[in-house]
Amino acid sequence: MAIKIPKDREVPFGAITPAPVKQQDLFITSNWRIVRPIIDHEKCTRCFTCYASCPDSCWSYNEKEDKMEWNWKFCKGCQICIYECPADAISAAPELDFQDGVHRLEKPF
Amino acid sequence: MAKEMMLSGCAAAAQGAKFAEIEVTASYPIRPYTAIMMELAKMIANGELDCEFVHGEGEHAQVSIVLGASACGARAYVGSAGVGVTYAFELYSPVAGGRYPLQMAIADRTLDPPGDFGSEHTDAMSARDQGWLMGWASTPQEVLDNTLINYRVGEDPRVMLPQFVCQDGYFLSHIPDKVILPELAQVREFLPPYKAPHPLSPACPVSHGPQIRPDQGAPMDAQRAATFLVVPKVIEEAVADYNRIFGRNLAPWLEKFMMDDAEVAFFIQGAHANTCKSAIRHLRDQGLKAGMVRPRWVRPWPTQQIAEALANTKAVACVETSTSYGGATRGGNLIHEVSASLYDLDKRPLLTSFMAGLGGDVILLDDFYYMAKILKQMVEEKKTRQKVYWVGFEDET
Repeated sequence: MAIKIPKDREVPFGAITPAPVKQQDLFITSNWRIVRPIIDHEKCTRCFTCYASCPDSCWSYNEKEDKMEWNWKFCKGCQICIYECPADAISAAPELDFQDGVHRLEKPF
Repeated sequence: MAKEMMLSGCAAAAQGAKFAEIEVTASYPIRPYTAIMMELAKMIANGELDCEFVHGEGEHAQVSIVLGASACGARAYVGSAGVGVTYAFELYSPVAGGRYPLQMAIADRTLDPPGDFGSEHTDAMSARDQGWLMGWASTPQEVLDNTLINYRVGEDPRVMLPQFVCQDGYFLSHIPDKVILPELAQVREFLPPYKAPHPLSPACPVSHGPQIRPDQGAPMDAQRAATFLVVPKVIEEAVADYNRIFGRNLAPWLEKFMMDDAEVAFFIQGAHANTCKSAIRHLRDQGLKAGMVRPRWVRPWPTQQIAEALANTKAVACVETSTSYGGATRGGNLIHEVSASLYDLDKRPLLTSFMAGLGGDVILLDDFYYMAKILKQMVEEKKTRQKVYWVGFEDET
């Protein structure tokens, strides 16, 4: 008897990985998202409420372009940012409406 | 010169941990295992053992503490009994899945229905499928042996798995017997210091226990299952080394007692095996060719060895010391695995099981004679009337 793990399904031993400096690219956790938040940069006041309210730290500020950026790799679509945004700048869009939507990908990520 | 001492199972476990030079342990009291922690605390206070001793606020915390210690590269030791074992249950799979080769001593205690404190194997047996190595000792000497052998096997780079080192509560944990204490130099030869492959350290940051995706779960399971295919070889190497270094004669898998010409056999784990052996001597005096097979490991299960040991018998009785309510036989756990082990034999022995030694009940010689009577009857009738008998609770009409 032998157990063979195919190359494309290999996982690190005991799931132990080098510590992520910013984000854990080996374990992306957003493939159960049903909706994604869409930001209107015109309405956005850069108040950072979305940044502060996201449980997965998926909002960050791009200083160079002066705008908020969304991290699709870890957003679960919980919509807290949409609810909390005082400027009403974020709205929910169905994941299936996007060509790169997590449900459309044959092998997510 | 090796020293001999009278030690209870608990004291023998603590001596084993001391000789293994454990670095971190975590305690929370529940009898009968508590005496292990009392012994360890004494050793630390007396300066015999250099070990961090952390008090957990419960068994869940205890195992969490040693998980963290093991992740940092320490040789970690913990223990519990009964409902303490089940309270820590959430940790068992992550400890095995994260590949932390820590050791947990279990001195069995009945799970609450309510509040019995006697010995029964159900507490530890409930955790047998969590990916740990597991086995029962039958004497204080074997407790010490198993403590060292389990660390050696668990910490092997090919294995990297935690270990449940089990002993019967009271019958073994609290009854002293002669134990040969090894020399520290011998132990160090047998069990080199633990080297974690990826310890948590600021010098080389790594991430342990991260969230993984559902499609990464199955390969993790396969990875763990594949490890169990390697474990048997490592166990055989470790036991051979143990016998060589300590001048002992331990069997890697099974203790076989009077099995050479046995027609009927008891399959039993733990300290009740000692009573079983006395019963067999008396049964032999009366002309019944009885024998006993006692597994030293439950995980990995010695499938092949059990099939070979029982192949030439006519009838086998699993003496169940744990419960599996509503299971295949409505009795215990061992018969499931023994059935699976024997199924592919060309000529299978008849097989039944006896529920005995539950809730702290002593299995008396008379109980073994009752079982032998039924085994004899099975051989004569060439059939199994019942797959399970509740010893002492059967309607004899």
